[in-house]
Amino acid sequence: MHVCTGCSCLCDDIDLKIENGRISRAYNACRRGAGIFLNISSSRAKPTIDGQQVDLERALQKAQEIIQDSENLAIYGLDTTTLEAQRLAIELAEKKEAFIDDNSTFCLGDFVEMILKKEIPSTTLEEVKNNAYVLFYWGTDPYHSLSRHLSKFTYYPRGGKRQRGYEEDRFLVVIDIRKTHTAKLAKKNARFLKAENDADIIRGFIDALEGRSPKIFQKEIPRILKEMEKGGFNVIFGGLGLKYGLGGDYALLKEMIERMNERSEVYFMPAGCHPNMRGFNELLFEKTGHVNRYSFREKRSSDDFAFHRLLKNDSADTALIIGSDPLNSLPLEYAGKLSEINTIVIDPRETFTGRVAKVTIPSALSGVESGGTMIGADGSRVELNPVFEAEINDEYILKKLLEVV
Amino acid sequence: MPITPMEVYKLLPKTNCKKCGEQTCMAFAFKVINREKQIEECSPLFEEKKYANQKEKLLGLLEPLKEATETGLIVDEERCTGCANCIVVCPVHASEDPYGSGSGYGPKIEDPIYRLEDGVLKIINVKKCRRYGKNRILCVACRENCPSDAISFLEG
Ligand code: SF4
Ligand code: SF4
Ligand code: SF4
Ligand code: SF4
Repeated sequence: MHVCTGCSCLCDDIDLKIENGRISRAYNACRRGAGIFLNISSSRAKPTIDGQQVDLERALQKAQEIIQDSENLAIYGLDTTTLEAQRLAIELAEKKEAFIDDNSTFCLGDFVEMILKKEIPSTTLEEVKNNAYVLFYWGTDPYHSLSRHLSKFTYYPRGGKRQRGYEEDRFLVVIDIRKTHTAKLAKKNARFLKAENDADIIRGFIDALEGRSPKIFQKEIPRILKEMEKGGFNVIFGGLGLKYGLGGDYALLKEMIERMNERSEVYFMPAGCHPNMRGFNELLFEKTGHVNRYSFREKRSSDDFAFHRLLKNDSADTALIIGSDPLNSLPLEYAGKLSEINTIVIDPRETFTGRVAKVTIPSALSGVESGGTMIGADGSRVELNPVFEAEINDEYILKKLLEVV
Repeated sequence: MPITPMEVYKLLPKTNCKKCGEQTCMAFAFKVINREKQIEECSPLFEEKKYANQKEKLLGLLEPLKEATETGLIVDEERCTGCANCIVVCPVHASEDPYGSGSGYGPKIEDPIYRLEDGVLKIINVKKCRRYGKNRILCVACRENCPSDAISFLEG
């Protein structure tokens, strides 16, 4: 059994058929996950300096020189690598008084932060499988981003107190701005609320909890609350839609969850997709009390330290990007910014960012070619069980870079 | 997607000549869809020139039957993302593989109905499906819980 690092579900039941030293079949993984195992040799990165292929040794040496000379280093990415590598990257950032940030700034770092600060109660997917009755998917379509979420952990599996299957033992609530694939599953014993405005729906729930008639979904909201009381253990999975719908103001959300908890247990869990994003958030939080956008020189977190802002404001002279391809999602102007400064990319595969980088260092695929630990979206630790053991992995490379600071 | 007996009936000669061994063309149409009869058993359709056009249409209509398993189950792999909802929801898996697919994991029995292979749904052992055999019932659990309509049954 192997662990898939395709998303934050970190499915641990992947069977592989190995023939002549190659993975020829993947069982139990979803399409995205199987793709990682089956296509390990496609578009692999090569060691380069200024776009020219070089020996790995030279690329590493060049990266060491750049790190040594850098005065304002920004470290970014890290959500697809292991805790062990993340720890080294944080150590490097600390020693260099660098900036450090990951995808969670765009993604669900805010939610993870609220959970780590214990501002909202959270739980594990195992508990959800064994106990949860009402399941909210709010602003997230797991069918695409976390394909096996419903089948492995939430709506469909039988477990613990929930042995009778989804039609009797679960109640599905999908809240989204459009009828997503997941929303299509909200049939019997379920509700789909089309969200024009997330805050209005939250107010609707608060109104109903206070005995007033909600202004929207007058029938659905009281029914859902009644089901929640009946179930006793309920969970809200919040996605990017909810985050952006609320525009960074979570006071109402927290109030709603608090009020709901006066009547039945309600937990909140992030539904984000990067496999080890939570791992990075937790490590940085342990060290600094913040989950992302951190400057070790100024010892604080700020929007100004988000990676794209550092680039925009020319705050960094060097960028070290690990297991992430920011140019894939950032506007084109950032390509210029990254090529003006010293950019080092550490990645198992070729990336857009690698094309404008000063140095690229090929690494191993975590989970397939190198082991370690990751933390899934629910905070549980998962030990990877790689198929191969590559000598040159993120840990190895980061240790090399640490040698010179 | 499912082919209805009516669609088949409309393209038959509709003479109720009984050459196929059935009392009516409609009865024959039902059996074709259930794969108890082959379309070739309607000899007038193949022998008489005036039905040539209808025959072509009918053969086209019945094309998917060839790919369908004996339960009339068809999986469109292009549409499948491998969410495994269908595998976990299946009542047969729940009772025969309670700690594997019934609990959300990959199947732990040798011959599950379904399994994910290379990221998409594969039919492994259709004989276990409740739609199969003498005591069949019209279960639709897997189809109903596929978000992308990748599963269909010929008989509806
Ligand atoms: S759901 Fe995520 S972890 Fe599970 S197999 Fe698919 S990509 Fe991999
Ligand atoms: S042989 Fe053809 S035309 Fe005659 S009854 Fe059967 S289906 Fe109808
Ligand atoms: S029709 Fe029912 S018994 Fe057959 S595979 Fe689908 S869910 Fe299982
Ligand atoms: S439910 Fe549909 S998409 Fe999901 S695995 Fe089954 S066939 Fe594929």
